[in-house]
Amino acid sequence: MAVIEKGGSSSGSSGKSALAFINDERFRSVFYQLLVGAIVLVAGYYLYANTAANLDARGMEVGFGFLGSTAGFSIAWSLIPYTPGDTYFHVFLVGIGNTLLVAAIAILTSTFLGFVMGVLRLSKNWLIRNIAAWYVEILRNTPLLLQILFWFLTVFALLPSPRQSLEPMTGFVLNNRGFYFPSPQPGDLFFLTAGAFVIGIVGAFILSKWATKRLFDTGQKTPVFPISLGLIFGFPLVVFLVTGAPLAFDLPTLQGFNFVGGGSVPPAFCALLLALTIYHSCFMAEAVRAGILSVSHGQTEASYSLGLKPSWTLRLVIIPQAMRAVVPPMISNWMNVVKNSSLAIAIGFPDLVAVFMQTSLNQSGHAIEIVAMVMLFYMTVSLSISLALNQYNKSVQLKER
Amino acid sequence: MSDTTHSDAVFRPKPSLPPPPNTVGVVGWLRKNLFGGPIDTIFTVVGIWLIGTLLVTVYQYGIANAVWEANSYRECLDTVLPNGEKVGHSGACWAGVAVWMNQYIYGRYPDPEQWRVQLCLAILVLWLMPFWLPRVTAKIQTGLSAVLTFPFLAAHILLGGEAGSFLMLTSSLALALFVTVWLNVITSYAMNKSVGKLVVELTGMADKDDRLHKWVLLAGFAVVFLGALAYESSWDLVAVPTTDWGGLFLTLCISGIAIASAIPSGVILALGRRSKMPVIRVFCTMWIELFRSVPLITILFMAVTMMPLFLPVELNPDKLVMVIVAVCIFASAYMAEIVRGGLQAIPKGQYEAAQALGLNYWKVTTFIVMPQALKLMIPNIVGNFIGLLKDTTLVSIIGLYDILLMAKASGQDPNWLGLHAEPMLFAAGVFFIICFAMSKYSQHLERTIAGGYGRR
Repeated sequence: MAVIEKGGSSSGSSGKSALAFINDERFRSVFYQLLVGAIVLVAGYYLYANTAANLDARGMEVGFGFLGSTAGFSIAWSLIPYTPGDTYFHVFLVGIGNTLLVAAIAILTSTFLGFVMGVLRLSKNWLIRNIAAWYVEILRNTPLLLQILFWFLTVFALLPSPRQSLEPMTGFVLNNRGFYFPSPQPGDLFFLTAGAFVIGIVGAFILSKWATKRLFDTGQKTPVFPISLGLIFGFPLVVFLVTGAPLAFDLPTLQGFNFVGGGSVPPAFCALLLALTIYHSCFMAEAVRAGILSVSHGQTEASYSLGLKPSWTLRLVIIPQAMRAVVPPMISNWMNVVKNSSLAIAIGFPDLVAVFMQTSLNQSGHAIEIVAMVMLFYMTVSLSISLALNQYNKSVQLKER
Repeated sequence: MSDTTHSDAVFRPKPSLPPPPNTVGVVGWLRKNLFGGPIDTIFTVVGIWLIGTLLVTVYQYGIANAVWEANSYRECLDTVLPNGEKVGHSGACWAGVAVWMNQYIYGRYPDPEQWRVQLCLAILVLWLMPFWLPRVTAKIQTGLSAVLTFPFLAAHILLGGEAGSFLMLTSSLALALFVTVWLNVITSYAMNKSVGKLVVELTGMADKDDRLHKWVLLAGFAVVFLGALAYESSWDLVAVPTTDWGGLFLTLCISGIAIASAIPSGVILALGRRSKMPVIRVFCTMWIELFRSVPLITILFMAVTMMPLFLPVELNPDKLVMVIVAVCIFASAYMAEIVRGGLQAIPKGQYEAAQALGLNYWKVTTFIVMPQALKLMIPNIVGNFIGLLKDTTLVSIIGLYDILLMAKASGQDPNWLGLHAEPMLFAAGVFFIICFAMSKYSQHLERTIAGGYGRR
């Protein structure tokens, strides 16, 4: 309605007829907005009145007081320490911790696998190209939930018992209780190594800035890459060895019927992570492929004719332009990974939805508050990611006109 | 100067040399595509090894060692292979899948009533068929009538029992529209004119005023409608509660309704979000951002835990209805963003030109902007439909027996305890076929209509 600034025929004739104001664009705009606002308000009041009546009938009260009371149930596995005596609010935090952990790892692995698959899909080799294409086609056309259940029911639920565990490498154990791995136990002086690592990263960053400036000023190049490598990895290594290697590994060992020591994750975690990685790598691969294809071949030819060698062309010409097309779909994929990690509930991994929206909700009955809190969490994550994405988009946009 | 006229001075190119033998034919193709260099060759060898292993495994598991007839999973595992060993987990137990096949497709819908599901599918296919028949007119009306009224007819047929007056009226309307659509197809092919024209001619009103035609057509349709109503009132179908619906049928049911509702609701929300009226814009934006940023499973939980609180007790909505509403809400938010993307891609000149022609907002939108925007967005829209179909499996988490939960349930049946991989593979195959076909069809559509300029 508002596209047309003045309602065509009526603007001149408003004095002639009493009904002419109906054709006035401003009046109509206000009228429609009042109408929509009124409908929303009435609907909202209707829902509110129903809810109040229903809650009254069930003798329930709305309020966040229940968050302080004891949850009383146990959680199979948690990143944040938890005991059944903790409060519902602590359950909420435990759920968030587990969700973010699995989502963060899945984002890293699926992005890596997606890059590999996306590049392979553009390979000059016919066989490799087709294998990658069918990998993507088959796995993205089957539901994620089905893949999660498949991995869980047919692989991770059928693993041998702890006594017959698979041990592909010393310290890494896989059985039907979960995946066990050595957990690092930093000694007293380990903070020095960590500090050296941070200093190395800062140093490499400053070095690259300085090298760029030197290149622009004098035209001389600095071997940034090997020096940075030395700064980031060599320097902490030296510090580590000088301080007497203050790091021990706690290896998982079989005691009785189970493994103790080391870190561990349950089979459901492994199944969820595997399925998320594989499923989302297909979408990442498509984003990477589309991004690289979006850079026109003329760019490659132009940079060759300027005398840039192929590796430079890729690094300085193709990738920066491809990233502009790759990053937005990739970040929306990351958001989907966070959202889809909620499917953990199907195989019993205690993520936010499972521990809070199911167990806590069933126990406490505070449906409205709990659903609102869970939705708020996911909205916060999504909106902050999309805010960051908008910032990035602004910074890489083609600067035209 | 005189030299140039001399015939010897004319440039005569030598015949070009044949291409090097190793760049043409099979050898050339192999060299170019598979053995371009040492790294390429290694890749190819690894690839061949991968495919070979995969094919051998699939053949061994799915065909060579598979068991096709058995009465329980135990029997499957204990079947003896020709080489004297037991099958165990080295071969698929397709016998279990065969036994459960009916449940995978129809859920617990009673066997003697399953013709109703098939009938509904047949009606839907027949209803949409005129889309692909070139000589039939009124394609848009056909599609709209199917999308808007078919669900009621299907609900009446599938639910059975005593239909309420609302369902009776809407489903009779649907049946009448369906009959009209096919009368139109028949007259279009038999007499090369639409059914409306034929009715007008038969009643002898052809030379009367056009305004009278409308009344004649309406009267004609009223006759068909009353016939449909009388016919449907005589139905005596056994009631099948929605708790018995399941399998692939339920999956397609939920996703079909969500897909059908997504386009109109998405268009409305997208227009609202781009509106210049702040109140409408804010409400639409809030709706879209809220439901896009939370996982579908939380919306489903909201539907089954909060909807009963929001609605009056006496309404007591069916679980399936609440789930369908939740999936539709989810679908509308995603579709809205896709449509908005399409709208943003339309150059401003199109709006300005249309306004300069004196079209109002709704005409600009329906005739100029929206057709272009939707055409542009075909790949994304179909991609969204595919995603929706896959996401429908989430209803299994809140206990609706869709194909996935049926597949899981078959492995928990005492007779078939542990039968997990085979039903999952079957379900995966079904989803793959549907989704892959949809994506290929969308690519075909993209080529034929979205290009738009070359073909007229």
